[in-house]
This record gives sequence, structure tokens and C-alpha cells, in this order.
Amino acid sequence: MFKLNLKIALRNLFKNKVYAAINIGGLALGLTAFVLMLLYINHEESYDTWSPDLKNVYQIREKHAFFTPDNKEHWNEISNSRIANLIRTKLPQAIAVTKVDNDWDFIKGYSLKIDDANPVMMPKIKDSDSSFFKVFPYRFLQGSEDKALENPKSIVLKESLAIQLFGTTKVLGKTIKVIRWRSDEGTSLTVTGVVAEPKYPQSVSFNAITRTGDRDKDPENPTNNNYCLVYTKLNKSSDTLVLNQTLQKMYVDFKKNLLSSQKKSYNDIYKDGRLPGLKVIPVKEVHANPPYAMSWFEKLKPVIAISAFLLLVSVINFINLATAQSVQRAKEVGVKKVLGSHKTQLTWQFLIESALQSVISLFLCIILIEVVLPAFNNQFKVDLSFWHNAQLFAMVVQLFGLFVFVTLLAGFYPAWILSNYNPVSVLKGNYENGLRGIALRNVLVVFQFVISVTFIISIGVMQMQSQYMSNKDLGFERGNLINIKSNYEDNFAERLKKIPGVEYVATTTQVMGNTFNVPEEVKYKGNAINLNTVTVTMDALPALGVKVLQGRIFSKEYKQDTINTVVLNEAAANLFGKNIIGQTYGKVDWEGKTNIFQIVGIIKNYHNEGFDKSVLPTVYKVTGLGGTSNTNNLLVRFNTSKYNDVIGKIEKEWKALYPNYPMEYTSLDDAFSKSLEDNNRFVNMIILFSVVSVSLSLLGLFALSTFVAKRRTKEIAVRKVLGASNLQIVNLLNKSFLILVIVANLISWPIAYILIKKWLEGFAYRIDMPVLPFIAATIISIIIAVLTVSIQARKAAVSDPVNALKYE
Amino acid sequence: MVGRQIVLRFKRPNLQPSAFLPSTLKKMIELKNIEKYYANKGIKHYVLRHVTTTIKQGEFVSIMGPSGAGKSTLLNILGMLEEPTYGTYEFFGEDVTTLNERKRIELYRNHIGFVFQAYHLIDEMTVYENIEAPLLYKKVGSSERASRIANLLDRFNIVAKKDLFPNQLSGGQQQLVGIARALAAQPSVILADEPTGNLQSTQAEEIMQLFKKLNQEDGITIIQVTHSEKNAEYGNRILHIADGVVKEDVLVR
Repeated sequence: MFKLNLKIALRNLFKNKVYAAINIGGLALGLTAFVLMLLYINHEESYDTWSPDLKNVYQIREKHAFFTPDNKEHWNEISNSRIANLIRTKLPQAIAVTKVDNDWDFIKGYSLKIDDANPVMMPKIKDSDSSFFKVFPYRFLQGSEDKALENPKSIVLKESLAIQLFGTTKVLGKTIKVIRWRSDEGTSLTVTGVVAEPKYPQSVSFNAITRTGDRDKDPENPTNNNYCLVYTKLNKSSDTLVLNQTLQKMYVDFKKNLLSSQKKSYNDIYKDGRLPGLKVIPVKEVHANPPYAMSWFEKLKPVIAISAFLLLVSVINFINLATAQSVQRAKEVGVKKVLGSHKTQLTWQFLIESALQSVISLFLCIILIEVVLPAFNNQFKVDLSFWHNAQLFAMVVQLFGLFVFVTLLAGFYPAWILSNYNPVSVLKGNYENGLRGIALRNVLVVFQFVISVTFIISIGVMQMQSQYMSNKDLGFERGNLINIKSNYEDNFAERLKKIPGVEYVATTTQVMGNTFNVPEEVKYKGNAINLNTVTVTMDALPALGVKVLQGRIFSKEYKQDTINTVVLNEAAANLFGKNIIGQTYGKVDWEGKTNIFQIVGIIKNYHNEGFDKSVLPTVYKVTGLGGTSNTNNLLVRFNTSKYNDVIGKIEKEWKALYPNYPMEYTSLDDAFSKSLEDNNRFVNMIILFSVVSVSLSLLGLFALSTFVAKRRTKEIAVRKVLGASNLQIVNLLNKSFLILVIVANLISWPIAYILIKKWLEGFAYRIDMPVLPFIAATIISIIIAVLTVSIQARKAAVSDPVNALKYE
Repeated sequence: MVGRQIVLRFKRPNLQPSAFLPSTLKKMIELKNIEKYYANKGIKHYVLRHVTTTIKQGEFVSIMGPSGAGKSTLLNILGMLEEPTYGTYEFFGEDVTTLNERKRIELYRNHIGFVFQAYHLIDEMTVYENIEAPLLYKKVGSSERASRIANLLDRFNIVAKKDLFPNQLSGGQQQLVGIARALAAQPSVILADEPTGNLQSTQAEEIMQLFKKLNQEDGITIIQVTHSEKNAEYGNRILHIADGVVKEDVLVR
């Protein structure tokens, strides 16, 4: 019986090739989007699961205000380095405790130099203490866990780095010099081990772990603190709630001691119910709970929702086509019932047919995934693989689950409808039952179109916003400008200025790609104004090519510029009021002295961060009065657009001065593209999903209109005999679908409006809500729907009515 | 359902023409006071009224009458495809009006074979598979299945057609397959609804000859609905129906 049913299923697929292709292809598309999502989620979930021993490893989190975004107390991944010692000595369950460097945004890597070879920049070189490999059970290919970091000045490499640097993993005893900044003399370290890359990603990822000795001790002066990641391995997996209570008690005592040695009072700081805090979280949960950024799951939520919707759209197609097709199968059901088939047997038969189609789509989907995975990896900056996946078994189980789910979702309703046909009416040729479920089908078509129209509107608005952003006047000239990752050093700067083609060499703490804002409060005419201070060199504003609105910018001709003049941007000027050129304001410095500054010019706001953030009210100054700040920005403006040769010359100068540290730079064009990157990625993804969703809906509509035309063959024939023209017939068929599409449009307008408004609100610089995409989406959806339906309607209209009326 | 229990049983004139049939033949179907009506806005539209009759094993009964007389409804009731609104129907002594679906399907599998005017072969199955289908439902073993089908194909001279699909056959051939399918499960009775209605007269004649042969040589009970006086003559008993009432019950010599 099963074999026969399978045969019938296959024969039906071949008989209705086009619809089967639409069904299977559509489902495969929907599945692909969903399975990609699954792959990604599996990848994210697999963090820190590469060894069973990791279940006893915990990260320490401390509540403090050091380097938090708003300078207030929060739970942080980085803790005071003294906590490691506290846990080691006071917590009996702790077998091992280790301190290791955090990933700082502003450190891109260290320079590694082997003998006389050229230095290479290498990210994720982390300094730790002797216990790192006692906490994290990496597998040693060379060296051993207990010996590797026994002595200071040692370094343990990941397999991949050893091969990159030496071409082999047999590198024990070799020396690597680590240079941490441009003018650092460097530390020579001996390779004492090579570890294998674990199967799954790690939240404490590294290319090399060093033990320079710096992490061995804590700062001696109690007012100096050093912050780093602290991990501990306990003798058994513990209840974190109980553990955290113990830690909290320990920590309060520790904090009291520390504060009293800093000559501060614990009771003054922790009052009104405020408490210090120390806790552990299992290392497996670290990746999913970053302290400030959104967790991967939060970020992914909209994408998960969209891919789930796509899957739903394809499943809807499936249901629609299957129920529409059911008219054709009605006779089979009737006959089989009369021959003695149970209803459940029939239900099974139709479920098997759905399953057959799902299986084919699943295979197609796996092929599709192989095809699109490289692009997906590129978009999301991950390295996913289907076949070379450590979780292949889990993946297969999930796919099987998905297969069962989709089969039931898509197949159950049609199977139920079909197996319920009453044999008497069906065998009499009465297909009234075929009309059953038409309301449901209409609802499903509307639902599909709501999703599609919402997508079309969204991409319209998103495109307009993207256009607006990439064409917006940035307030500075981004062409022919590069930013070398280095601070300003006179000797080097003077050498560069002599190179022909170089127009300006300057530094600023505020430029697109690297901005370091220092907040301050000033007094102007008795009012306090909060500003953001940027220290620049004389040439920085001309180098950026900012636009002067009033007054002047800094210049060597004015001696005063090195004493107490400032330039404001428009946003800051608006806070001061009108006619402020030549006015002065005061600022109290940390010693309590009031410094007086004179405003000499106002420049147009220039963008230094993404368009999601508004330009801060900023004061620019050259003078060291009131303190300066600096960061690794060295702007070089060229007076030619063919500046590659010039860069070559700059690199030569760099090598002469800093042979141990490679030069890094970005062009401001690239920095600008990078600021748009996240948005473009999102928009591209939405466009992709829209195209898939719209084509799925159209395929569904196409197939459905075919069946409707077929079912109404007799009606059409009768109407033709009565004198209807072909056009009237086409219109007749179009009308029923057009109503659905219009209803879908009406529903999707408010939905799209709300979603898009929310998206636009994420931008400080945005377009007004445009009307055009809404109208365009409606017109487009109606036109394509009419075209799709007309293809079938025309076929039905021109057919010879005699054929339809001959048999009854 | 309670309503059925309180049927008033009228004494009806016994129209049973059992004179020439051996009275030892087993009673197969016994209809008592069957009524069928559709209520529409409180008005009852009768399709069948007071139908009482007995059909014995081995009879070949033709139900005749004008369009809309209720012939097909009667056949559907006999085939348990429709339920009567009133009356009792006993099949081999068992009341089947209150049968549950599982039991009814058992009857379909073992006792009743249907033949339709429009053949109703399953388009996606070959001739062979169409004939095989009822045997699969009956869970007949594969070797037994093969031999039975071979037998039927041979008998109906359609061996060469066994791998063709229904739409590759002529109407007469399709009906042969339809009858072969009905016979495959070795039913006690064949219910045929205008089996020759869609056929040309020569083909129709062949089909009727076949029915007659099946009845006389194999002793299969056949009940057919027909329009044609000529086709009705092939059987040995004719029930004339008009306006839902059995007007006449005659034997054919």
C-alpha cells in the first residue's frame, strides 16, 4: 500500500510538474532562509562548549564604574585584578584562577617580530598569568599544560599562528618579540607551547597567550587599579546562587579594606541601599550575555522573525496549492472510500505526498545552502559550514524536526480536507466541496501579500534613506585624506610635510573612524553649558576641509591661537546664542582655577560617527590650556588624487623611525563606507528577503489562479456561449484576486508605517516619511498581480467552450 | 436515531416473486419501509417512500424508472453510501442502518463491489493497480493478489492493457476494468449505477452479457440501475420505481 501511495504521489508530481516545481522550489527557498538562521544560531549557541571541563569554569563579573559608557556603576566583564587573588585565597572551591587581557576596541593588535623578519600586526595576543591553561583545558600539541606558562617571558601559540609565523608547529624554544605600541622597545618571549584550535568558538579567543609577568602582580599603590578578565575553575559545578552569596560577602569585606587603604569610607560610598557587587556566571553563558552590547539573540530577533515569515509564506503556498488541487483528487478519494479505505489511511496517503515534497525541498535547500553560504558568511562575518560542522548530527536532527514540522503544517490541512470528501457527492460529479476552504485560501493569499507589500514599502523607504545618507554633505572633504594609526609626533610630522604631494599633516581626537570625546562643562554669561572638547593641531581643521560659517579657523598667523582661542561647531554655537564671535567663556580646571577662552570662529557641523548619532556640540582648541587629549589619529591631506606613491614614501619614513611596528592607515573614504556598512548590510538583507517573499507570493498567486481558472472552466464556457468577450472573461478572473491584493495593501500600509517609522527613528539624520513608496508598492503589487493572473485567465478565456461543455 | 426505533410497520402486500427461484436461496438484503426525504424550510421532499423488498443471493435485479424517481438513491442506500431517514435495512440479517464507519468499511472490503456510470477509475493508477487497490485494502497476500488479478485480466481479455492508464483506454475497456476491480475482492453483491450509460450500444451489450454471465455462471448477486428496458431484460427481476415508490416488481423469463 505504501509503495502504491508513493507511486501515486510521484505520478501526481509529474502530472502537475509546474505546480510541483512551484511548491517544492518555494518551500526550498523558505527552508533555506530558515536553515541558515539555524546554522547561525547553532554557531552562537556553541560558544565555550568545546570541553566538558568548561562546565566548572566561571567568569567573574564586578559592579564598578571603570570605563563604562556613562561613567556610572554597572556589571562588567572586566574586574579589578585584585579579585583574582581574593578568590584564590578565600574561596575553597576554586582550583585555579586566572587573569587575562580583555579585548579593547582601541587595540587592534600587537606587532610580532621574529629575528630580522618584517614585523607583522597580530590581533588577539593576550597577556595572562601562569594559570590560564589550568582554567581553560586547551589541548597541547607542543609543550604541556603545567609547564607552558611556568616561567615569565613565555608565549603559547595557537596552532594556526605557529604555522603562519614559522610554517610548522614544532616551534618550542623559539623567540618572538612582542611590540605593543609604535615606540615600545618590545619584550622577547620564548615559545613554550602550541595549542590546538578547539571545535567550537570561544569567548576568550586568542592567537597567543603571553606571560610577560605584568599580570603576575597587582598594582602596589591601593589607589591604582588594573582591570582585566578573571576566570576561575571550581572543583565541582556549583549552584551560582549560593556561590554568589558567598562571593558577595567576601567582596564587601574586600571592598571595605580596599577603600580604607585608599583613605575613603565604605559607608560614605555605599549608602541609600547601594551595594558593591561581585558575581560569577558560567563561561557558557558569557557569550550570550555581553554587559553592554545587545546579545546576539537580541540582534538577530528581527532576522529570525523575517526568516520565520518567509518559511510561513512558502508553507502557505503549499497549503493553498494543495487545497486548490484537491478538486482533482476528489474522485480518487471517493473511489478509494468505496473500495474500503479508511479515512486515516487516506490522511496518511496525502501526508506522505506532502512529506515527499518536503523531502525534495529539503534536499534542494541543502544544495542552496551550500551555494549561498559563502555570501552569508561574508555578510555576517562568520565562518559557517554545513558539512564541516562539528554539530552535524544535531543539525541533522534539527532538520528532521523541521521536516516533520513543515510536513504537518503544510500537509495536514489539505490531507484532512481531502480525506473528508463525501464519496456520494464526489462520485456524482458534484464538486461543491472543492469550494470549501476558499475563505481560508483567500485569507492566506491576503496574508502573503501583506508580508510582500510591507517588504516592498520598506525597501522603498530604506533605499531613500540610504541614498540620503550616502549623498549627505558630511561637512568635511573625505577625498584625498588618510588617517595613519599613530599619535602626532613632531619629528615624524615634519618629515612627512616635506614629501611632495602632502598638503597638511595634523591630528585631531575627532574624525570619522576614530573619535575620542572628552566631556566638559563651561560657564558662559552665568549659564553652564555642556560641551565636548576636541584637541587639534593648527592644521587639523583645514586638513579636514571644514566649512567656516563665521569668524575664522586656527592659523599660524595668530599667536593667540596657541594661548586661549577656540572654534565652535554649529551645534555648540547654538547653545551659546547669537553674536558670539570674540566673546569669552570660562572653564574651571581640576585645580579649581578658571581659564578664559575666546571664541574666534564657528564651523559647520561635520560628521564623525554614523548617521544614527547626531553631531555633538563641540569645541575645538589648539591650546593646551585646560588640558589636552590625544588619540591615534594622524591626518594626512594630499593635494593630488594619485597619492599611492606618496603613501609609499610615507611608509619609508615610518620604517626608518619605527622599524619594529608596521604602519596602518585608512582612507577617509573607507572610513565613511564603513560607517554605512552596517546599514547597507541590513538593507541588502531586507532586499534579498523581499525579493524572495514577493516571488514566493507571486508563484503562489500564479498557481492558484491557474486552479481557479480550471475550476471555473465550465462557468467560463457558459459565459462565452452567452456572448462574453475574452477581455470580459479575463477581467472576471482578475477581479476576485484584485480585491484580495487591495485588501492586503490596506492592511500593510499601517503595519509598514509603524515598522518604518521605528527604523527611521534610529537615525539622527533621516528623511521625512515619504508617501511615494506606499503608493508605488500598491501600484506595483496590483500590476504584478494582474499580470500574473492574466496569463492564466487569458488561456482560459481563449479556450474553446465546446470542450468544456461536451462532457457532463 | 431514536426515531428509527419507533417505525410503524405497515402490512404491505407481498410482492415477492420468489416463485421460480429456489426458496432455499439465502436472504441477502431486506429493506423494510425505507424512506428518504430532505427537509427544506419545513417542507419534506420525499425521494423514497415505503420501500420494502427482499433481495436474495444470486438474483440479478434491475431498478428502472424515469429520471428523478429515486433509483440512484435506492442504490446508494443499498450500498450504504447514504443513510435512509426511516426504515430498517438488514444485510445478511444484520441491521446496517446504524453501522459505524469501521464496520461499514469492512462491508465494502468484503461484500460490496461498485460499478459506476463514469467508470471512476483512479487516473494515476495503471489498469493493474486499479484492480489491485481493493485487494490491498482487504490485505490479501501478494501471491494471492497476483493470481487473482492475472485471472481477471485473462478472463476480461485485457492482459495486454494492464500497464496502461485509464485515459489510454476506450470507454468500454474502462468499464471492463471497473467491473474487474469490483470483482477482485470477490464481493457478495455488485451494485452498478447505469453501468452502460456512457457507452455505445455494442459495447453496452458486451458489458450486459458479461453481467449476465457473472450472475449465471458465478452466482454473483447483481443490482443495477438502468434506463433501458433492453438492459433490464438481462436480469431476472425488475423493480419499477416512480416518485420514490416501488410501483411494480416483476420477474423476467
